Amino acid sequence: MDKSEKNLETPDWLNSPDFQKQKIIKEIDRLHRASTRGLWALSLFLLVSLFAWWGFSILPDPDAVTAVLGKAPSSRLVSIVLIIYTFSAITLSLARMTSGIEHRSSFSHVGFLTAFFLFYFFDRALYDNYWAVFGAGITILGVESYRIWSFCSEGVVKNKGNLEYITRTGRMPPED
Amino acid sequence: MFATLAGKALVPVGLAVTGFMVVCCLILYSVIRDDLHRGEIVHATNLADTILKSTRYAMHKSDRETLATILRNVGEQKGVDHVRIFNKKGIVTFSAKSGEINHQVDKKAEGCVVCHKGDIPVTNLGKMEQARTFMNNRGNDVMAITAPIYNEPDCSSAACHFHPAGQKVLGTLDIGLSRQEIERSLTMLRIQMIIFTIMTLVLTIVGVTALLRRNVFLPLHKLRQYVENNPGKNNQVHPPPHLPHDLDTIADSYYNISLQAVRKKDVEKNNEPGHEQ
Repeated sequence: MDKSEKNLETPDWLNSPDFQKQKIIKEIDRLHRASTRGLWALSLFLLVSLFAWWGFSILPDPDAVTAVLGKAPSSRLVSIVLIIYTFSAITLSLARMTSGIEHRSSFSHVGFLTAFFLFYFFDRALYDNYWAVFGAGITILGVESYRIWSFCSEGVVKNKGNLEYITRTGRMPPED
Repeated sequence: MFATLAGKALVPVGLAVTGFMVVCCLILYSVIRDDLHRGEIVHATNLADTILKSTRYAMHKSDRETLATILRNVGEQKGVDHVRIFNKKGIVTFSAKSGEINHQVDKKAEGCVVCHKGDIPVTNLGKMEQARTFMNNRGNDVMAITAPIYNEPDCSSAACHFHPAGQKVLGTLDIGLSRQEIERSLTMLRIQMIIFTIMTLVLTIVGVTALLRRNVFLPLHKLRQYVENNPGKNNQVHPPPHLPHDLDTIADSYYNISLQAVRKKDVEKNNEPGHEQ
């Protein structure tokens, strides 16, 4: 065995049960923390919704903004895009749930939903369409929260099983 | 509930289907309401045009009595909240309600401010901008249209009483229509949509639950009972019950493994020293 091959070998301490246990405990902690990310995104959306409910009083008047940026897209067009977006986001979330893909963040949806609130606000149609965006947000972020939570819960259960196995046998369980 | 198999199958489906239905219903309701409102404005504008054309001859002849009668008759129609004409100074000159005559209209009031927000009042407005909605003294929703009465060549050159040619607007016709019927229709639509959404939710949840129970939970329960009860007393292995595909493969495999284990045990027992053949 030459020197370079020797360097590629895994050090013994990396395979030691204690190190593996530490690694699993860290992973369990990470999954516990990640499981609430969906709820954080939902809370942020509720905060944005509250601002929208108050008519975005911190923003300049829609007329002043449209005078600079030009006319906002019509509320009807925004509504069509909102339906397509809601459908796509739910489908994507359910597909991730089916495939078991770890995608921890749903904060991008908060950004998209805020954009819908703003488009309606600048078209002076927020009052008529507020509940549609709110409903879309609750649905998308609700499904996303459930997906993230169930993925992390399954991961925690699996890692706890692995931890128990290492404690009992002193070696890593066989890969799935 | 969320961690059970039923919860995992039902929660995302129920949430996604119901949420999407609610969003679609809300947008549809908003679009229908917008369309109805536009239709209402077009109807009120046409009515205002009709009144202006009907009263034109009386205005030319300065026949104030005919003009007042026309407005009174229009005002008595069902669904008409108010109809009045006020002059350039904002003083009501004709009205279906006699108490309003000679009263000053507040230029800062809703509907007036659209044209009077600047120093020089706007004289041309689109159809949608002419409309305003508000609640009257009786607490009913009203949609009103203000149609300007423009100075035309035959007005400024009429022999009886002429207006200066430079005066663009001679006065304004203000007509308000009750929104009770439209509000009633919208309330009915809202109730129908809520019932429709609830029915869809119930159907989805009941449908998915029934299918899951029939195709997954009951066969799983049968398989679990079979595994728990076999091998039974005296090491007897019963053949598996009829199960749907995939589960019957598992049950058959379990049956074969159990049979082999029982046979092996019997052989070992028979080979034990001292065992009677």
